[in-house]
Amino acid sequence: MRREYLFVLVTLCLCILGIVAVYSVDPLRDEGFGPKSFFGRQILWNVVGWALFLLFRFFDFQWLFRRSWLWYLLSVFSLGAVLVFGESDETGAKRWLFSRSVQPSEFAKLALLFFLSSYLSTNRDELDFWSLLVKSAFFAAVPALLVFLQPDLGTALVLGVLWFGALFLGGWHRRKLGLLLGLVAGLSPLSWFIMKDYQRKRVLAFLDPWQDPLGSGYNVVQSQIAIGSGGVLGQGWLSGKQTQLRFLPARYTDFIFAAFCEQFGFVGGMVLLTLFILFFWIVLETAQRVGNLEERFFASLFGILFLFQVGINVGMNLGIAPVTGIPLPFVSYGGSSLLVHLAGAGMIARLIWRTEQEERERWI
Amino acid sequence: MWNERMEERIRQRVATALWIGIALFVVLSARLWYLSVLRGEWFRERSERNRVRVVFLEALRGNIYDRRGVCLAEDVPRFRLVFLVGSSEEELVMKRVREVLGRDIAFSLRERAPGELVLLEDLPLEDVVKIEENSERLPGVLVEVYPARKYRDGEIAASLLGYVGKVSSEELKALGKMGYRNEDRIGKSGVESFYESLLRGEEGYRRVEVDALGRVVQVLDFRSPRFRYSLQLALDWELQKACYEALGRRNGVVLVGDPATGEILAFVSKPSFDPNLFSRGLSLKEWLDLLEQKSNPLLARPTQALYPPGSLFKILIALAALEEQVVTSRESFFCPGYLEYGDRKYLCWRRGGHGRVTFEEAIAESCNVVFYTLGLRLGPERIARYARMFGFGQDAHLDLPGVKTGFFPTPEWKREALKEAWYPGDTVNLSIGQGYLLVTPLEMYLFLCAVANRGKVYDPHVLWRVLDENGRVVREVKPSLRRTIALRSQTWDTVIRGMEKVVTQGTGFNCRGLPVKLAAKTGTAQNPHGKEHSWFGGFFPSDRPKFVFLVLVEHGGDGSGEAALVARKVVEWILQNRGV
Repeated sequence: MRREYLFVLVTLCLCILGIVAVYSVDPLRDEGFGPKSFFGRQILWNVVGWALFLLFRFFDFQWLFRRSWLWYLLSVFSLGAVLVFGESDETGAKRWLFSRSVQPSEFAKLALLFFLSSYLSTNRDELDFWSLLVKSAFFAAVPALLVFLQPDLGTALVLGVLWFGALFLGGWHRRKLGLLLGLVAGLSPLSWFIMKDYQRKRVLAFLDPWQDPLGSGYNVVQSQIAIGSGGVLGQGWLSGKQTQLRFLPARYTDFIFAAFCEQFGFVGGMVLLTLFILFFWIVLETAQRVGNLEERFFASLFGILFLFQVGINVGMNLGIAPVTGIPLPFVSYGGSSLLVHLAGAGMIARLIWRTEQEERERWI
Repeated sequence: MWNERMEERIRQRVATALWIGIALFVVLSARLWYLSVLRGEWFRERSERNRVRVVFLEALRGNIYDRRGVCLAEDVPRFRLVFLVGSSEEELVMKRVREVLGRDIAFSLRERAPGELVLLEDLPLEDVVKIEENSERLPGVLVEVYPARKYRDGEIAASLLGYVGKVSSEELKALGKMGYRNEDRIGKSGVESFYESLLRGEEGYRRVEVDALGRVVQVLDFRSPRFRYSLQLALDWELQKACYEALGRRNGVVLVGDPATGEILAFVSKPSFDPNLFSRGLSLKEWLDLLEQKSNPLLARPTQALYPPGSLFKILIALAALEEQVVTSRESFFCPGYLEYGDRKYLCWRRGGHGRVTFEEAIAESCNVVFYTLGLRLGPERIARYARMFGFGQDAHLDLPGVKTGFFPTPEWKREALKEAWYPGDTVNLSIGQGYLLVTPLEMYLFLCAVANRGKVYDPHVLWRVLDENGRVVREVKPSLRRTIALRSQTWDTVIRGMEKVVTQGTGFNCRGLPVKLAAKTGTAQNPHGKEHSWFGGFFPSDRPKFVFLVLVEHGGDGSGEAALVARKVVEWILQNRGV
C-alpha cells in the first residue's frame, strides 16, 4: 500500500474518531446536527480543514518558506493584538480574536514552524554555532512570551519545545543541548515565583492529585476515574457515567481522551495511540526521505510538534503529565487547532507523494 | 559548517526522534493498561461512588397514646436545607441561597455525612416554597423532610414521657452496633428512653444518581422510613392534666394509680419543662439554663427525688405494732404534748397535747406521742423488718429509667457508716418518719397501694399496650404480683379505719364531706432547707379501693393544708369524671 494512502487513512480515522468523541460529550446533540451543536461545528471545521489539506496536497507550498518572515511577523502581530483586543474565555485568559472564533496561538505554532525551518536552512553553514542558537532563541522567545502573557502556559511550552526540537534536528552538538537542558532544569524551580496561584496549584495537584480530589486535583482524579472505569472494552458509546454525568471537566477539549477511553476502554485508547504513533512514524519517515533541507526540517519539526502535544495531552489525561491546556491534535474540539494540523498534514501528504514519485523516477 | 557529516547527523537526529516517539508510545500504553485494565475495578467503584449518593432518611418513632387513645407524642414533618458538596460552584450557590431566602445564613455548617452539609433546620414553609421555586438555579441544594417529635401540651407529662435528642457521641459508642447513626434521635429520658427499642423505627434511604453538580438525575432506589410500634400508656391524659392543674403554682408530685393492676394513671412532676424544645434542638445556653435552674425541672420528682416521709410513715408503724401485738386496737393513750424518754423530751406536733386518744384516733390525729411509744415498743429491728416487707429501699420495678430507691436506716448501717450506736432517739424520730429515713414519692405511693390492696402489691407500670403499625395490639402488660404481705385482716381493718377517720375527724379535714369513703393520711416532712414538705396520700373507696393517690407539695407546710387541698381537687375530679 502506498504510504500516502496509509497516511490519509490514519489522518481521516483520527478526525472521524474526534467527531465521534465530540458527539459523545456534546450536551446539545439531541437538538440534531446544526451549527450550534459542538459536533456540528466540529464537522464543519473538518470540511474546511480537509479543503486546506487538499489545497496543500495539490499545490506547491514552497512559497510558504520564502515568505516565512511574513508569517512570523503576522503571528507576532496577532498575538500582540490578542493581548490588546483579545477576548477572554471562561478561565479568564485572553486567547481569542474575532468574537472567539480564531485562536492566534494555534497559528503561531505553524508560523514558527515555517520560520525556524526556513531560517535554519538558509543559515545552514552556521548550524551548531552558539550565535545561531542565541538568535533563533530570540525569535522563538518573542511569540512564546506573548502567548505566556495570555496566559497560556501550555502553548508557550509548545513553542519552546519547537525551538528546542529545531536545535536538536539542526544537529547541534549533544553537549550544547545537554548544557541547555541543564540550564532550563536548573532554572525551572525559579519559575515557581513567577507562576500564578492556580498554576502552582496545578503543579501540586500533578504531584499528588488525591490530596485534594474535589479541588485542584479534581481534573486529574476525574480523568483517571473515567479512563479506569472504562476497563478493557469500555462502557460503550454514549454511556460512560463520568462523561455523561459531566464529572469530567473540559470533556470536549483537554480531556477528550479520557472521555473516549471511558466509552471504548483500553482497546479504544490503544487504537487512538496506535493511530497517533503511525501518523508520527510516517511523518518522520517522510522527513528522512526528502532531500530538501528546509522541507526535512519542516516535516520532522511538524512530527515533533505533533508528538509533544499528544504526549502532554494524553499524559495529563493518564495522570503522568501536568495539566496544561494543550488540545489533542485532530480529536479535540476546536477549529483553529484542527485547521492548523490538517493544513500541516496536507503538506506532509504532498511531501510523501513527491518523495514517492522521486523514488519511482530513480528506479526508472 | 555544512558538510556530509552534518547531513548525516541530522539524518540520525530524525531517527532518534522516531525512537523517542516509540518510547513515549510504550510509556503511554503501559499507563493506559495500568489504569484501565489493572486498576479498572477500583476506578469503576470510584466512578460508582461519584454518581450514587445514598441519603439516609431518619427512622420514624412510634406514637405514644394515653389509655383513651389521646396522642401524647408523635412525629411531625419538618424541613431542612441540605447542600451536597462536590460541585465547583459552592460559593455561587451559597450566594444564591442567601439571595433567594433574602437573609443571611449563619455559616454554622454541619457536615452530616461526607459531602453533605446541613445549612438550615426547621425551615419555615415559605422558605421551602422559595427554595423549590428556584431549584433550577440551586444545583446541589435539597429540601429534605425530617421527622421531629411533638408533644401534646409539652410540660404536663414531660417527666413521664421524657424527650428525644440527637444521639450523643458516648451513646453512639455504646450503641454503635445497633445501627445508630450520627444524626439519629434517641430517647433521652422517661418513656422515650425506657422503651427506645420499641419506639425506634427503621430508617429509610434514598439512593440517587447525581451529576457532577450534585443535581439529582434519577432516584435509583427508595425505602421510606417507618416506625414499628406505638405505645399506649396506662396514663389517663385528662386526669394527668387535672392533677397538673390542681398543683397550681406549687412545686411537687401527684401520683394516681390503680392498686389492683399497678397501672399508673397520673404522674405529675412540677416544675416541668417543655420537651418540644429538645426536638427543635436546644442551644447550649438554653440547655445550661435548664440545668442550672434551682428548682431543677429536669428531675422526675416522683421517682428521682428523695424526701423524708413524715407522718405518712406512721401507717407502717401502726401496722407493725398491731401485727406484732405490741398494741391492741382497744388500747388508749394519753398525750400531754410530749414524751419524756431518758433525759429528753420529744414533742408532739400539738403543743397542748391530744389528751386521751384511742389507737384509731391517734392515726386520725397523727399523734406523735403515741407513735413514739409504739416505735419504742417495736424497736428499730422490727420496724426495719416491716419496712423491708413493704419494699422500702428496694427496686420499685417501674418501667421508667433512673428510678431511685429511698434509704431505710438500721442500727447496723449507723454503726458501720457513722460509727455511732443507734440511740432510742433515732427510733423515736424514725417512728414519725423523720431522721435518716428518705423515700421517693413512688415508694410512698406503692406503700399506699399495699395498704389499699391489703398486702398485695403489683408492679407499677406506665405502659399498657404495644400496638403495631396498623394499630393492632401485639402485647398487653398484665398485672404482675410483686409481693404479698400477709398480715391479719384485723390489722388491715383497724389501720384503714384509722385512715378513714383521718378524713372524717382528723388532720385530713380539708378532704371532709366528699361523696366517697376516703382513707388517707397527712404528712409533714421537716426540711432543713425551708418550709416543710406537705404530704397527703390515700385511696378510695376505702372498702374496695379503685384509686390510690399521693400528693407531695414542696414547702407546702403541714400535710393537712396544701397537699390535702390539691388531693381534694384530684379526688373531686375523678369522682366527677371517672366515677367509682
